[in-house]
Amino acid sequence: MKDFVIVGSGSSGGILARILQEGGADVTLIEAGKFFRKETFPRTEAAYSSQLFWGGGLEFDDKAKSAYLRAKCVGGTTNVNQCLMNRFDDLALDDWRERSGVDWLTLDTLNPHYGKVEDMMELHTFEKKDFNRNAELFTGGCDKIGYGWKFLQRGQKDCKIEEGNDCIGCLGGCQRDSKQSTLVIGIQVAEKLGLEVLSEFEADSVTHFDDHVVLKGEHEGQNKEISARRMILAGGSFGTTKILLNSGLKKTLPALGKGFCQHPQYMAFGIFDEPVDSHKGAFQTVASGDPKMRKAGFKLENVFAPPIAVGMLFNSFGVEHQRLMKKYRYMACIEAAVRDQPEGGELDVDKKGNLIVRKTLTEQDLVRADKGIEAINNVFAAAGAKEVIDSPFYFGLHLMGGCSFGVDPGKSVINPDFQVHGHKNIYVADSSVFPSAPGINPSLTIMTLSQRLGEQLLNN
Amino acid sequence: MSRLISNAAVRGIVRLGNIIIPGDGDMPSYEEFGGFEHVDDLLEHAPKSDIGDLGLLLSILSFMPKFVLVWLVNKMAASHAKGNGLWVLMRQLDMGIRGIVLSTYYTEKGGASFSGTAPLDGIDYSITRMEN
Repeated sequence: MKDFVIVGSGSSGGILARILQEGGADVTLIEAGKFFRKETFPRTEAAYSSQLFWGGGLEFDDKAKSAYLRAKCVGGTTNVNQCLMNRFDDLALDDWRERSGVDWLTLDTLNPHYGKVEDMMELHTFEKKDFNRNAELFTGGCDKIGYGWKFLQRGQKDCKIEEGNDCIGCLGGCQRDSKQSTLVIGIQVAEKLGLEVLSEFEADSVTHFDDHVVLKGEHEGQNKEISARRMILAGGSFGTTKILLNSGLKKTLPALGKGFCQHPQYMAFGIFDEPVDSHKGAFQTVASGDPKMRKAGFKLENVFAPPIAVGMLFNSFGVEHQRLMKKYRYMACIEAAVRDQPEGGELDVDKKGNLIVRKTLTEQDLVRADKGIEAINNVFAAAGAKEVIDSPFYFGLHLMGGCSFGVDPGKSVINPDFQVHGHKNIYVADSSVFPSAPGINPSLTIMTLSQRLGEQLLNN
Repeated sequence: MSRLISNAAVRGIVRLGNIIIPGDGDMPSYEEFGGFEHVDDLLEHAPKSDIGDLGLLLSILSFMPKFVLVWLVNKMAASHAKGNGLWVLMRQLDMGIRGIVLSTYYTEKGGASFSGTAPLDGIDYSITRMEN
């Protein structure tokens, strides 16, 4: 019997696999998606959108108001995100402590763990020399109207931007192992130490026993069971919550599925007279760094997307669609990400065990979104945009909550030692444990919580 | 033409695609480009239940008069600012149909007989990938 089975190979699972394997444990890592490596990641937007994501590209809430992008491949969303690495601040952690009653959720406690995760990867803080025109327009617009901005920090090494590489291509997986995904910094390291990876294994439910756990699922189309002394669920907000719901734990843990947050993201495009070429070079290097925006509950990020995604973000068709798409090279783009309230979100399953996402933006969320969109328009006006198009859609890339940390089993799912309440052999340290939305990119903190859990398990 | 959906369903995609992307002097219409010939490249990764439902609907739509399809595309586009009820279905349709149409248009793979300016060239999109 394995020491540990880890279900999910993204920010949490990939880090845990490395830490536990390095600590001498016998580990199996399970992933629902396929195993791509730098040589085999699909190279076109159409191919990677359909092959690397759940739902064949997009998933939706039950009202089809919000779309979700959730990777389904070994390395998970860390393969397809921008690998932006930020520590949380007191504002985020104070709220977590208040909601959960978990007293170690402080920067003093987490900072050493942040440091150990950061030591596992190459980090690059962007400079002005890295800017493309999109970033110049964003920072220039912010400067004119007095908005603070900051350089982003990204996990990357040797991206060859200065030699002409266009980083937008790595939204479908990095073809040179430069992006510091958990595939690169976790799984591929652990494989050399004997890690077993089972890809195309979709977990369904877990059964807890006093001295082991049994996982049921489907591996390459066949029903399969795996036993391990301890199991770590690392499927993220949707994956982990779905497994626990399908395991019948809602009966004893009423908070299971509650508190889903997503940092609703609103994109707007400014159209300029001269080419901007937002898709070229390092395409995401700066974000807002304004304390007033942080307190107001939103942030701005200087982003862009490849053509199919940009086309999807407009709801126009016919002549107007073609007019806009012919302006692709003339578009700058800014996104507002909202720190949403957990009260508006809940995850559930239907009778067939399929995930249902219920997400209603609260009044406060909507006010924050309006303020964010207004700020975007202010920046574009100051930067000299000839036309601004606000996308009518919002979407979620940071999926959080559903199995919240807490000391009270009546109001939470995971105890302060990362165990499911009343199930000492099942652990969770992924984004599903977040008691609320931090308003900060979550990847580094998911890895950090997982690093802490890894140390705890090895020490025990 | 498709292993996963009927010929009628493919015809439904093409007719809706021509409304979404009618083409002009610079860009081919959806049908002219012919990317729909590779629709299975997308559908084989989509949930099977979604393909079944969407395929049936597209087959039905393939027999509808053009003004009905134009009306439908208008409602799909407007649905995102609307409430729930039937608008939920319209939003689902919008994302599903536009997802297929745009993914088989803004791509390198056109139809076997296409020889004009490809859509990605028409919008002047190219990226450099340094693999090593």
